[in-house]
Amino acid sequence: MSTAAIIVALVTFVLGALLALLTIPVLVWLERRVASLIQDRLGPNRTNIGGFRFGGVVQSFADVVKLLLKEEYYPSHIKNGKWLFMFAPIITFAAALLAFMAIPFADTIIINGQALRMSPLPIDFGVFWYLAIGAVGVLGIIFGGWLSHNKYALLGAARAASMVVSYELPLGLSIVSFIIAYNTVDFNAMVVFQSGVFFGAIPAWGIFIQPLASIILIVALFAETNRNPFTVAEGESEIVAGFMTEHTAMKFAMYFMGEYVAMNTASAVIITMIFGGYNLPWVSTQMILENFETFALSLMVAVPLIITTLILWMRKNNRVRPTVSTDAGRNFETKVLTIVMISMALFVESILIYLAFIGQDALMQNIAVTLFQIVVFVIKLMMFNIFFIIIRWTVPRFRYDQVQKLGWYYLLPLALLNIFITAIIVVGAGL
Amino acid sequence: MSQKTRVSGIPSHSVKVTARPNNSFLNKLYLPAIAQGVKVTFKHLWTNVNDTNAIDVLEYPEEQPTDITDRYRGLHRLTHRADGSEACVACFMCATACPSNCIFIEAEERKDGLDEKQPKSFFIDTLECVFCGYCVEACPCDAIRMDTGIFSLTGSKREDFVMDKEKLLSHKGAFAEEISCARH
Repeated sequence: MSTAAIIVALVTFVLGALLALLTIPVLVWLERRVASLIQDRLGPNRTNIGGFRFGGVVQSFADVVKLLLKEEYYPSHIKNGKWLFMFAPIITFAAALLAFMAIPFADTIIINGQALRMSPLPIDFGVFWYLAIGAVGVLGIIFGGWLSHNKYALLGAARAASMVVSYELPLGLSIVSFIIAYNTVDFNAMVVFQSGVFFGAIPAWGIFIQPLASIILIVALFAETNRNPFTVAEGESEIVAGFMTEHTAMKFAMYFMGEYVAMNTASAVIITMIFGGYNLPWVSTQMILENFETFALSLMVAVPLIITTLILWMRKNNRVRPTVSTDAGRNFETKVLTIVMISMALFVESILIYLAFIGQDALMQNIAVTLFQIVVFVIKLMMFNIFFIIIRWTVPRFRYDQVQKLGWYYLLPLALLNIFITAIIVVGAGL
Repeated sequence: MSQKTRVSGIPSHSVKVTARPNNSFLNKLYLPAIAQGVKVTFKHLWTNVNDTNAIDVLEYPEEQPTDITDRYRGLHRLTHRADGSEACVACFMCATACPSNCIFIEAEERKDGLDEKQPKSFFIDTLECVFCGYCVEACPCDAIRMDTGIFSLTGSKREDFVMDKEKLLSHKGAFAEEISCARH
C-alpha cells in the first residue's frame, strides 16, 4: 500500500465515523428543534458553553452526559439470556453504523494512477453490503424485546418482526430495478451514472429514471429505520415503549442512537441511489476537473453569497426579544461566529484562487474537488434527514396490519411490475 | 366475505352502510395527502426559522406572564384588618376544610383586646397543598386569601416550602383588595 492509499483510507474512516457518530447529537437536536418550530414552539435553545449556544445543539451533549451518569438498572426478573439482553442494543447500533460504511462520500480519487475509493469500506458491492448488514439491525430489536420478558416488549418485538415481513421484500425488489437500470451493484458507479443526463436536459437521477422504484425505496427505508409513519414497534399509546421498555440508561441510549444512525444511513442510501449522491445535478466529476477554472469562479461567487445569507440570518435571529433585559451573550456569539465565518470564506476563496490561477496542480485540484463533493454530500444528507423529521411530524402512525397490507398488497406487486417494465425497456432498447 | 357472514342474520334495512367519502384513486394513493401535509408543516417551519422571535411563546423566566387574573389561586397570604392588626382569629375553619391537611394552627389568647383568639403559630406546608382554595372559602374573617399572584415557589430544601405566620402576613395582595373585607 502506498502512502496515499493509507492516508485516504484513514481519512475516509475518520470521516465515516464522524458522519455517522457526530451526526447523532446533531440529529437529536435537529429533531427537537424542527419539531418545535413546526409546532410553533422554540425547543431547546438555552444550553451553552461560555455563551456559545450554536442554536442549542449543546443540549444533546448534556443529554449524553446525563445518560452516561444514570443508574445502570437491570431488571431482576430476567434470568436467562442476560448477555443477549445487554447485547441486543449493540446489534442494532452496530448494524446501522456498519451499513453506513459502504456509502461513497466523494468520487474515486486518482493519485499517482492509483484509484482510491472515498468510502470507509472500499468495496464494489455496496448495495449487497447495505442490504445484508442493514437487515441485521432489526434482530437487535427482536432479541431485546423478546428477552425483556415483558408483554409490552414482546409485543413490540412481534410488531418489529411483522414489519420485517412487510418491508423487506419491496425494499429488495425496488433495489433490483435500480440495479437493472444502473447496471451495477456499486454505490459509486451508481452516482457516476446519475451525474449524466437523459432526454437531453433532465439529470439522470434515480427519481427521474425510476420514479416508482424510488417511491417504494423511500417508503421501505422509512419502515426499515423504524421512523414515523412506521413506528409500530414502539407505539407508546398502546405498548408503552415497545421493545425498549425494559432498557434503561446507556442500553436505551444505544437503541436511541441506533435509530438516528439508521436514519442517517437511510438518508445516505436514498441520496446515493436516487438523488445523485455527492454530485450536483448535471455536473459530473470529469466536468469539474476539466473546467476547474469555471468551477472555482462559480464557487468563489457562491461561497460569499451563502456566508452572507447565513450571517444575515444569524444577526436577525440570534438575539433576544426587545422585552427581555438580559442578552445572555448572544451578541458576543454572533460577533465571534461572524468573524469565524468570514475568515473561513476568505480562506476558501484564497485556496480557490491559488488552485485555479497560480499553482495549477492537478493533484491539488483533485483533492479540492473531493472536498467539495464531501461538502455537497453532507448538505444533501442533512437535507434528507430534515425531510425524514418533517415527515415524522406530519404523518400519523400506521397500524401494523396496515403496514403489512401496504407492503404485500401494494408495494410488492408494484415493485415486481416495475422490475418487468425496467427489464423490458433495458433489454428491448438494448441500453 | 367476512362482512357478508357477519350481517347475514340481520335484516338488510337495519344495516347502516356508510359510504367512505372520496374513494377516488388519487385519494387512495395517499401520497398527495402526505404532500399536502408536508406543505403545511413546512410552511410553519419556514416562517418560524426565518423569524424565531416572532413565535408566540413566553421566554420564561426573562419574560413573565401578564395574563394572571384576579381569580387566579396563587400562593396564600394572611390579611390584615384596617387598623393593621392580623385578621385571623384562629377558628380552625381553614384547617378543617383543607383536603390535604396542610394547615397547622396553634391558638392563643388575643393580646391586643380586639378579639378573643389569635394564632400563636400558623403553618402552611405548600408541598402538601393542592391549591384548591377551600381554606379561602371556609374563612369567616377573610383572613386567608390566595390573591398574591405568586405562581412560582422555589427553594433548596423542604423546610423552605413550609410557610410560617410571618411569611404569610408579609405577602402582599396582587390585586385591588389589600385588607380583610370582613366586619370586625
